[in-house]
Amino acid sequence: MKVSFPYMGTTVVYKKLLELLGHEVIVPPKPSQRTINLGVKYSPEFACFPLKVIMGSYIEAIEKGAEVIITSGGHGPCRAGFYEKVHSKILQAENHDVEFIVFDSMFRNFKGFFRNIYRIKQNNSWYKVSQSLLFVYNMIKKLDILEKEVETIRAYEIRKGETTRAWEKIQDLFDKASTKKELEGAFNKGTQLLREIKQEKVHDSNKIRIGIVGEIYVVMEASINMKIEEILGSLGAEVERSQYLSQWINYNVTPKFINRTHEMEILKKGEKYIPIPIGGHAKQTVGHIVDFNERGFDGVIHLMPFACLPELVSQSIIPKITEELGIPVLTLAIDEQAGTANSLTRIEAFLDLIQGKKSKKIS
Amino acid sequence: MQEIYLGIDVGSVSTNIIAIDDKNKVVHSQYIRTNGQPLDSVKNGLKELKKNLPQDMKVRGVGTTGSGRQLIGVMVGADVVKNEITAHATATSQLVPNVKTIFEIGGQDSKIIIIEDQMVVDFAMNTVCAAGTGSFLDHQAERLGVPIEKFGDLALTAERDVRIAGRCTVFAESDMIAKQQFGFSKAEIIKGLCEALVRNYINNLGRGKKLEPPFVFQGGVAANKGIKAAFEKEINEEVIIPKHYNIMGALGSAILAKEHLEANGNPTSFRGFEAADLDFVPSTFECGDCSNKCEVIKVELNKEVVAMWGDRCGKWVGSL
Repeated sequence: MKVSFPYMGTTVVYKKLLELLGHEVIVPPKPSQRTINLGVKYSPEFACFPLKVIMGSYIEAIEKGAEVIITSGGHGPCRAGFYEKVHSKILQAENHDVEFIVFDSMFRNFKGFFRNIYRIKQNNSWYKVSQSLLFVYNMIKKLDILEKEVETIRAYEIRKGETTRAWEKIQDLFDKASTKKELEGAFNKGTQLLREIKQEKVHDSNKIRIGIVGEIYVVMEASINMKIEEILGSLGAEVERSQYLSQWINYNVTPKFINRTHEMEILKKGEKYIPIPIGGHAKQTVGHIVDFNERGFDGVIHLMPFACLPELVSQSIIPKITEELGIPVLTLAIDEQAGTANSLTRIEAFLDLIQGKKSKKIS
Repeated sequence: MQEIYLGIDVGSVSTNIIAIDDKNKVVHSQYIRTNGQPLDSVKNGLKELKKNLPQDMKVRGVGTTGSGRQLIGVMVGADVVKNEITAHATATSQLVPNVKTIFEIGGQDSKIIIIEDQMVVDFAMNTVCAAGTGSFLDHQAERLGVPIEKFGDLALTAERDVRIAGRCTVFAESDMIAKQQFGFSKAEIIKGLCEALVRNYINNLGRGKKLEPPFVFQGGVAANKGIKAAFEKEINEEVIIPKHYNIMGALGSAILAKEHLEANGNPTSFRGFEAADLDFVPSTFECGDCSNKCEVIKVELNKEVVAMWGDRCGKWVGSL
């Protein structure tokens, strides 16, 4: 069967896992204006932005021949839990014949989770499945290590755009690797590529570090968040996101009673501001702001899909966090608008504010 | 010989060009309606400026700001291209050194800037909606047949209070019509509008912020006495309107250019007043290399491409 999945972040890893299990994989095109237009056309007007983009992305995957879509589920008071139901209803109404395989947390529905695994497993032995999972997990970890470096180097590159190009090359190298040895090779080559980038020397005290927090889709998917990391990089700021795939996996596959992952710590740090789960990533958002502050970051950019309920809650708590901790936070709502001039003005002014704080001057 | 620095603020409604001396004093200023033609208004402004300045002056630096800052920056050869928030804050903290809160209302957008010890510590800008900006007032003034210049004075003559919903221009308009039918006078309706605008502004931009005096009110709308009175009523404090309230962005960008050049000692990249006569052509084209179909802006100077932007992948930006 021809399988596809929602486009988010470094897609080479999902592709790799499904390929290793012998599936024919249809990678949806990177979300573009066309994807957004399609998504907006077929989605309910009031739906949140990620639903629309993913909708468009599914339609594009189906155009390329996808028959089965694998996605994650959700629970709690956030619309993400309904995504699959809404998407499949709309696709049905449009006479697209696709099947969904939805992975909910295995701790909530163990039976359903394994039924899904069986479907994807096909005739592969359990040994092969576990080897593939391990391989892909390693790949994700290595990619995340390199991406974090990319996010630092970009701020100081001398030739604009060089780091981003290197990062694209690295993802390509990883895409071609399918054995442990090749993976190691891709990682070393990637490290070397990054080392070759000529950087400006900036004194430690003049470095600016910005954390990016918010709803996972708009944080992870550069093509719809105005390439916020590249913008900040080009303005000379180092960036770290709140979400990385390896962290998400660590957190979601570890049973609660032994879960000591970074994300657990983050949730604890946010507890003071949002004590109960309110869906989406609101608790993580506030927790990460506290965490970035403790780690000496200069500021935080908070991304939220326009009309995202959980992030609206976190947005209204942020002024209190800033007041207590002193870390500046800029909230940007992401929607289908193509014009970025307005957001750019805010981002520039925000960096001026941070720079001013450092040098005790306005600009 | 007098040394001057230029500041150019290209906004949606007005284009302001000013010249300051080395003590940040405004030597000359031009306030021009943009009328959707930022290039022409800057060209005209530069010519006017040259006429009004002594012959032996020398331009040491130039800064641009406002929504057209990038394009105009390329045209004049700006040393500093800065966002409006930083530019406004810079100018205000020069004129009112102890300022804590800046209200800025322009044609298409409005901002609030919180300052501590002459440093920006927080800011907000209105989002997609034009309610609470100068254009809203412009539109209502036209509806009522009152010239915008007389709007403020008329508001001050109102005897009664009338509440008009300010959340949305469309609703404000229907509310206004309803109140007219109830028999309220034009002056009272206008006063109600001013208060609605201020209420909307404070609710939207001031949300979650500590607003402390001294308050400074600037931007084109600060000329409107009705709005000033409405602000003072809403926050119960005096609101200062600086002398150069309508050219603060330009003033700030001139100061920023001056500080920048003083700090690094470089000569200015100003193309000279002749820039007004150069054959300067911006154009756009749709790049069809991927499904993003970005609208790329290309700027040509004497048939040579000098700048490009607007592409998401950076292919065109990086091609120069």
